[in-house]
Amino acid sequence: MDNLHSGDLTIEVAEGPDAVFRCTWKGKSNERNPPEILKPWFEKLLAAAGAKLGSIEMHFDKIEHFNSSTITALIRLIQNCRKTNIKLVMVYDQTLKWQRLSFDALRVFEKNDDLFHLRFA
Amino acid sequence: MSANADDLGFSIDMTVRNEWRNVDLLRTSVQNCFTAVFADVDGCHAIAMVTGELLENALKYGDWVSGDRAMFRLRVHRSSSSIVEVSVQNPLKESDVNAMNLLKAIEEISSYPKPEQAYRARMLQIAQSEEDTSPSRLGLVRIAFEGNCRIAAKIENGTVTVTAALDLT
Repeated sequence: MDNLHSGDLTIEVAEGPDAVFRCTWKGKSNERNPPEILKPWFEKLLAAAGAKLGSIEMHFDKIEHFNSSTITALIRLIQNCRKTNIKLVMVYDQTLKWQRLSFDALRVFEKNDDLFHLRFA
Repeated sequence: MSANADDLGFSIDMTVRNEWRNVDLLRTSVQNCFTAVFADVDGCHAIAMVTGELLENALKYGDWVSGDRAMFRLRVHRSSSSIVEVSVQNPLKESDVNAMNLLKAIEEISSYPKPEQAYRARMLQIAQSEEDTSPSRLGLVRIAFEGNCRIAAKIENGTVTVTAALDLT
């Protein structure tokens, strides 16, 4: 699985023990249409994690900014992970108010199925 | 641009080319300017986020075809009160579907007792909708929720001005 480099955004991916695909977001997600770039990369990531019966961790604590279109792409990712039974964890910096607001709101997608969780860095 | 540290006033008013890269240039400039003047880092980030979302909407949904000027106007103003106003003006006809969608989106946000409820409802709508069928319009409701803003829009003479008033208290 290759890292994603697009404009000001980098997502570094590393496969850890138990096939946990750790994805670290860096820079800024400020493209006009982020889903156009993120969707195909997410599809490859889901395929790689699914093939190894693994899970995905998205780490946002190092990202500087993302626009609302990026949030839309993340909502789609949550849905797609759930559909394919791949566990997804999003990790954020709760000491930053903007991250706390953005990610706490995503708790609306947490269910009792253990497939989506939010965690502090 | 002018700033008065004595009364914590601040004002930016500029006309800018409608190029996508200018969104981030302006967003980060506004953030850096406010950070230089005020100590409230969270507040500065909120002002910058609101600026970025309003600019993105202007470039995505403005009428850049029939107008003769490919420019938009950004104004950021803070008087001595705790309210910061960010407004973006761009070409858009009243009859344009994007104008109607804009007014409808603002009305919908206002229909919720709290912006947080409007934001969560919009996220759930996005999750339940088909992918890429229509614009997500998450930006406006993010402004209301994360920016703790009141949003208003005025459409006249072929231009729209969207104003977000942030309460930094």
